[in-house]
Amino acid sequence: MISKERASRIYLTMHRIRGFEEQVVSLFESNKLRGSVHLCIGQEAIAATVCSNLTEKDYITSTHRGHGHCIAKGARLDYAMAELMGKATGYCKGRGGSMHIADFETGNLGANAIVGGGIPIAVGAALASKMQKRKEVAVSFFGDGASNEGIFHEALNLASLWKVPVIFVCENNGYGISVPAWQSTSVEDISVRAVSYNMPGVTVDGNDVEAIDEAFRAALERARAGEGPTLIECKTYRWLGHWTGDPQPYRTREEIESWKEKCPIKRYGEKLLEQGFTAEELEQLSQQAKKEVEEAVDFALNSPLPDEGKILEDVFYEEA
Amino acid sequence: MAHKIIMPKQGLQMTEGYIAQWLKAEGDMVKLGEPLFEIETDKLTITIDSTAEGKLLKIVRPEGDTVPITEVIAYIGEEGEVIEDIQAPSLPADVSVKEVESPKESRRLSEPIPVLAQAGVKYATPRAKMRAQERGFPIESVDATGPDGLIIERDVLAYKPVAASPLARKLAGLGGISLDGVEGSGARGKVMAPDVRQALAAPSADDTSDCLETVIPMDGMRRGIASTMSGSLSATAQANHSMLVDMSECVRLRERMKKAEIKISFNDIIILCAARALKEHPQVNAVRQEDSIVQKHYVNVGMAVATPRGLLVPVIMDTDKKSLREIAGITAALAERTKKGTITPDELTQGTFTVTNLGMLGVDKFVAILNPPESGILAVGAIKKQPVVLEDDSIAVRPMMWITLTYDHCVIDGAPAASFLGRIKELLEDPILLL
Amino acid sequence: MSKKTYAIAIRDVIAQEMRRDENVFIMGEDIEILGGIFGCTRDLYKEFGTERVRNTPISEAGFIGAGLGAACAGMRPIVELMYMDFTLVAMDQIINQVAKTRYIFGGRAKIPLVIRGQQGIGRGNAATHSQSMETIFMHFPGLKVACPSTPQDAAGLLRTAIRDDNPVMFFEHKALYADKGEVNDDPEFMLPFGKADIKREGTDVTIVANLLYVKRALEAAKELESIGISAEVIDPMTLVPFDKETVVNSVKKTGRLVVVHEAHRNAGWGAEVAAMVTEEAFRYLDAPPLRLGALACPLPFALNLENAATPQVADIVQAARQVCYR
Repeated sequence: MISKERASRIYLTMHRIRGFEEQVVSLFESNKLRGSVHLCIGQEAIAATVCSNLTEKDYITSTHRGHGHCIAKGARLDYAMAELMGKATGYCKGRGGSMHIADFETGNLGANAIVGGGIPIAVGAALASKMQKRKEVAVSFFGDGASNEGIFHEALNLASLWKVPVIFVCENNGYGISVPAWQSTSVEDISVRAVSYNMPGVTVDGNDVEAIDEAFRAALERARAGEGPTLIECKTYRWLGHWTGDPQPYRTREEIESWKEKCPIKRYGEKLLEQGFTAEELEQLSQQAKKEVEEAVDFALNSPLPDEGKILEDVFYEEA
Repeated sequence: MAHKIIMPKQGLQMTEGYIAQWLKAEGDMVKLGEPLFEIETDKLTITIDSTAEGKLLKIVRPEGDTVPITEVIAYIGEEGEVIEDIQAPSLPADVSVKEVESPKESRRLSEPIPVLAQAGVKYATPRAKMRAQERGFPIESVDATGPDGLIIERDVLAYKPVAASPLARKLAGLGGISLDGVEGSGARGKVMAPDVRQALAAPSADDTSDCLETVIPMDGMRRGIASTMSGSLSATAQANHSMLVDMSECVRLRERMKKAEIKISFNDIIILCAARALKEHPQVNAVRQEDSIVQKHYVNVGMAVATPRGLLVPVIMDTDKKSLREIAGITAALAERTKKGTITPDELTQGTFTVTNLGMLGVDKFVAILNPPESGILAVGAIKKQPVVLEDDSIAVRPMMWITLTYDHCVIDGAPAASFLGRIKELLEDPILLL
Repeated sequence: MSKKTYAIAIRDVIAQEMRRDENVFIMGEDIEILGGIFGCTRDLYKEFGTERVRNTPISEAGFIGAGLGAACAGMRPIVELMYMDFTLVAMDQIINQVAKTRYIFGGRAKIPLVIRGQQGIGRGNAATHSQSMETIFMHFPGLKVACPSTPQDAAGLLRTAIRDDNPVMFFEHKALYADKGEVNDDPEFMLPFGKADIKREGTDVTIVANLLYVKRALEAAKELESIGISAEVIDPMTLVPFDKETVVNSVKKTGRLVVVHEAHRNAGWGAEVAAMVTEEAFRYLDAPPLRLGALACPLPFALNLENAATPQVADIVQAARQVCYR
């Protein structure tokens, strides 16, 4: 059962992510933002729900489609937006951009532009937590495509062997760029792959906050109890193309519209009304998110570019 | 088909080459880039590398032949290969390559630098150059022991410049002997002129005192000089003017420079004066080309340099635009390289006027033959103290020097030639005008 | 000081560092009961347990990635690779993740991670198990690269590597493991990165070499001495950071440079050194810098072929003579 406080937090987070992503599209289209930008509109429920169960000290590793994870884990929208615009005030001083955004302060060990690249890193963070006898867990977000990378299998095997507190969260949005899952993945449900590594695997509706929450809390309990990892597959859908400007010849407008019917924010809003939230309360949360996003955009637009004189800094850590 | 080896053109002005030596015999295997034969042009000896790989099937033109450029002189191919259509040697008249000098083009000097590593151009390692610079002598004077004639550090460290008087150097150069073996009678073993004369007079091991005469075949260079000189006299109308110059101011100038540790020679001053006068007298800075007179818009003064193998005239490009110090540096390096045979063919052409100086050998006054296609040459005699009657009828002792201009009357008339020579005299007597 | 082998010098430093800092741990293939196939972790599990001396499955990309994650989360992992050739199956994790994490995340991460293991010729391991990998890691910014050539250097450099807050690629040589030498046992003994070691002073030619080739260069120097050529042998110790100053100053003195390594000659790190010296000391050169390295073929198995593919002492002597024109 999701407490009222957490429920409103999840709802707010989903709106923050949605608003952020919509602004990114608009900035990209008005040429104020460049690079590879992968948007997660339609998938907000997974990041928002999973991270509502984590503290700042827990770790996540993220993906190229990582703005949602970053925001849900607690990143400031202004610093995140500034990073996407390559500004000095961005989380990575303008060096990472959309695909390489990290916030170590909130336990985000980074988006990862290499498919599957972050999975073993989460295993390592969980290993450190276990060896240092801390209670933190690590969550690795990745897509359906990553489950076909060798590193996914190596990492799951290691995690299971070592029983480290890591939860693998697969966001299955049905496509690896243009290639549908049936053309790329030998199993219908990626969660069955957990069997090979002797860990529980579950598939849930990735647009249903409560379903995600239930599966994740079980995995979290298991991890914290020292029983090892779990693989959770969340079936979802990205509303927009793989990147801004993707002509999307691989799917139909009808298919996209049918998924918009299953909008996770709308669905959870209706649930919350049933559970006693007022329409005013929900509207207030949505307005709050909108305002934060607008402020973040202003902040980012008004931030300075990174100093070229510092280009060689931070290649290595040097003691002062 | 067998590969043709041709007489290669080396340098801008070459029209034919004299095959001095074949370095491979018929039947020898030859590698690409391996030295194949030596040619003498009218100026230089050049080793030519093979442009093909295989067996030297046939030498068409033997040693001693003079062959127009691009003509086939040998064939290289695979063993047993039949050579078809061996070209018959063409007569010299067939030489169709005609160098018509176009002032604009030669001015640009955009001709690719000829690949002349084989002509003995000297290269030195950066370290060798640094060491020579530290020790204060030109790298060109060092003998190389590195691969392909490369001057390396060791060579510079081993090099001991022989102290010698200028005349001793000149005599040794003319006599074709090295100063290294000459014992010096001067202060601290400095080699003086009498030492060199003595060394030259010493009987050599292969002295053929039984014979009444020695026949020396004319090599390519000697033949080149012979044909140029006799050709010069037959093709032009050479006339002369002489003037006696008071060199007091030049002597003073040179001493002042010496005090400032700047080394210049009288010849450097004369070359610069001639160059400035040429700029003011374009009719002298000209060549005759059939029915035209081509006046050059650039002044390149050549300086006659005696080498053991004969006379060469290296050229100082844009002489009129150079400072006296620059000219001094260039003439020293050119003379050194000319004597050592490391000068490139293109440095020996493109002159517009020549200065020849026999003063050091004690000649008071002489008449030089024009260096074609140039239209003027200045012959410079020795500077000697003489009593001179001054403006106020008093008599003074002054260092005096004869200069004699030879000019082509086909191109220049007597009066402008006199004006030109007079201007040189004026500049020499008051070199401050050079500023 | 005590006399020990290169392998034991490495093991002892790992043990000392694990005693000093409980965040230091080691993982890799066959490192627990077997003690690593070259004995660099022999018996460590007895003292530190199997949590901190952790056997891994044969999943190099997986456990190098885990090493990175653990380093990000406060541990100081040492990852042992059985053969440094196996970095090739983990290249994404090393080059795309380990090397770049600090920089692209705006300098907010410290990555105290050592990836170490042996490489090279000498045991007939042939093409995929005899390569010299260090050049590749020198090319991509973000990794430090250390290459010890003696037991003492192995000890001093490894301790520096473990205490460094940056990822370090630590290259050992299988043919050096049995070499014995005096080693400083002081648990604080460290050799700085970026400081080359002049293994032998000389005046006529500078020979720069690493790993096994330091030994061979010293042998060559002895032979050269007998013909009157005085060779200076420099071990850069770390390729990143590289001690340009020591090498350039040496060449300014000698005027001649030979770089010799077991890595392939073409585009090997010797090319970088030759270029660096040419740029910095051109005026001082009396001969073109020469590079010696493995031929441009995969390393063959047969001993005579392996020898033919790699520089021998005689080759170093010949190269030195060539640049000295002797």
